Amino acid sequence: MSRRRHRRKNKNGVKLNVTAMLDMAFQLLAFFILTFRAAPIEGHLSLNMPPPIPQTNVESAQTVGTEGNSTPNLHALHLFVTATEAGDVAQVRLESNVIAAGRLTPTTVAGIGRRIAPLFASGNVLYDRVQIEVDRNLRYEELLKLVDVCAQQKLPDGKPLGKVSFVEMQR
Amino acid sequence: MSAQSSDGADPDLTPILDMVFQLITFFMLVINFKGASLDQSLQLPVLGSARPLEWKGDYEPLMLNVDNEGRVKVFGVVVLAEKFIADQAADLKKELRAAGDSAPKELPVPVVLRVDKGTRFHLVNHIIKLCQENGYVQFSLSAMTGKDEGGR
Repeated sequence: MSRRRHRRKNKNGVKLNVTAMLDMAFQLLAFFILTFRAAPIEGHLSLNMPPPIPQTNVESAQTVGTEGNSTPNLHALHLFVTATEAGDVAQVRLESNVIAAGRLTPTTVAGIGRRIAPLFASGNVLYDRVQIEVDRNLRYEELLKLVDVCAQQKLPDGKPLGKVSFVEMQR
Repeated sequence: MSAQSSDGADPDLTPILDMVFQLITFFMLVINFKGASLDQSLQLPVLGSARPLEWKGDYEPLMLNVDNEGRVKVFGVVVLAEKFIADQAADLKKELRAAGDSAPKELPVPVVLRVDKGTRFHLVNHIIKLCQENGYVQFSLSAMTGKDEGGR
């Protein structure tokens, strides 16, 4: 009985027009192929970048607190970066000491890291930010290498240094 | 007429339906509306230590594409940076006030800076200063992670 019913159902079944559905499938496929673009492998360097501290007296007035919301007795470490006309690094100074000269390579970047790392590890002088005075000509690519090496430094409490400020160097 | 339709072939639609649903599912999974805000013409610098942005705040980060001439592009359109950043900050402050937060001095939203690697510092610094003047202090600097060196 049930077999008979089943057969009859098949015979009288609704005939669907497949063309429309196939059209839709191919349209979807075409859209997908034409618009597909692999997402670039993009990363980010997250930083806290408060406005720079006015450099009226770098030697004596480095204390963070001019904005009224920072902890006193924390200092800003000053780096000075000059650039060539092509936008490469000419010289990197830590306060008044030259710590790198010439175009930045992985070796010189590592060297800069080695020079500034002890300053953050020291318990006596606490720096909580780096302030970089940068030549206006420096290319962003070169700047980011320096920012990266600064951001990788660890504070005495083990937290990463997250504060970096920029100042445009006066010519 | 009715005899014709009862004698017609009865195709099995299941595989076609499967394919359509698979396509739709795939399409829904890979579509990325945020991708439209990324200017693919920019050549980002390469930075091995760059990590994916982990932002779980209630508000969307401010995305700024800066080309090597210092022009700010948003969704492929060059905008006036001063006006755009000020408008975005004002909107965010309004939203914060509407949500019951007193408008903070420092906005709790990062600025995603996608800057071309050849852009000179003074052009980038101009954009950073504009953001800082409007209350943005958290920045997220975009870079290629090294596997896809030099961008596109």
